[in-house]
Amino acid sequence: MALLRVNPTRMALMELKRSTTSAKRGHKLLKDKQDGLMQQFLVTIRSAKELRMRVEAELGQAFMSFLTASAWLSDAEVENALSSPQATIELAVETRSVMGVKIPFFRLKKEGTVRNYGYSQTNTLLDRAIDAFDNAFETLIRLAEIEKQAENMAIELETTRRRVNALEHKMIPDLQETVKYIKLRLDEAERAGIIATMRVKASMKD
Amino acid sequence: MSSYRIAIVGSKEAVAGFALLGVDVVPMQETEDAVTELMRLKKAIRIEDGRERNVYGIVFVAEHLMTKLSQEDLKRLSRGALPAIIPLPSHHGSSGYGLERLKKIVERAVGSDILK
Repeated sequence: MALLRVNPTRMALMELKRSTTSAKRGHKLLKDKQDGLMQQFLVTIRSAKELRMRVEAELGQAFMSFLTASAWLSDAEVENALSSPQATIELAVETRSVMGVKIPFFRLKKEGTVRNYGYSQTNTLLDRAIDAFDNAFETLIRLAEIEKQAENMAIELETTRRRVNALEHKMIPDLQETVKYIKLRLDEAERAGIIATMRVKASMKD
Repeated sequence: MSSYRIAIVGSKEAVAGFALLGVDVVPMQETEDAVTELMRLKKAIRIEDGRERNVYGIVFVAEHLMTKLSQEDLKRLSRGALPAIIPLPSHHGSSGYGLERLKKIVERAVGSDILK
């Protein structure tokens, strides 16, 4: 621990004592924030993991059925069927603040039909594949929401943890040590002053 | 509350299934520069009620494109509230990148991986 570079005076002592108390208070607040965030984060990340596994399974199925569907069709036919999407999707986003972290909430607004292709040049397998993607999409949005929430919280947690550690292990000890040092110096100066007066007094008696 | 668009980035086979759902499809071959493209999507801005807003709320990216990004680029991309950039398994099947990413997030927040 390093001493802060200040003059050992009463003024500096007062100033340092004041900043020590505010550093301690800040540390407590940040620690509370960190604990709260961590609690939230753990809940979020657990469900993110579950959702991620589910999405991977669902999408795997969807890709499988899409592949089987397109195996029966020529590339041009597939391209033709997929070329003119009629459905539109809009994403409504609401951000809420949890412990000072902005986290998004998504809601999907779908319009129009998904199966927008002629039936003559496609097959039912393609219908099923497209349906599978359509169904998986809801889960995908949930996943996106929850992963983004987790990510934002993680970034905030990282900075908060750094701050808490910096306060706890660097700032507060430094301040306390400097306060102690100044006190010792002032006491020493006081004693030196008393001794000086005593010596002057003693020399006057002679 | 305002509305955003959704984009999906990946090779043609990986994004084909989503084409009819009404998302913005950005086909990209693996050789192309994924970073600049993602940055472009992230920076896309429109004006609504006199305020600047992102065009895209979510950008889905095929996993194999994400694996090539450097740590630094990933950090830059994940900054800010929106858009959410989310890796998806492609038609090759899951490479485990998504779970790996979650693990990174946990490590960042907690300091060590506590999910197992």
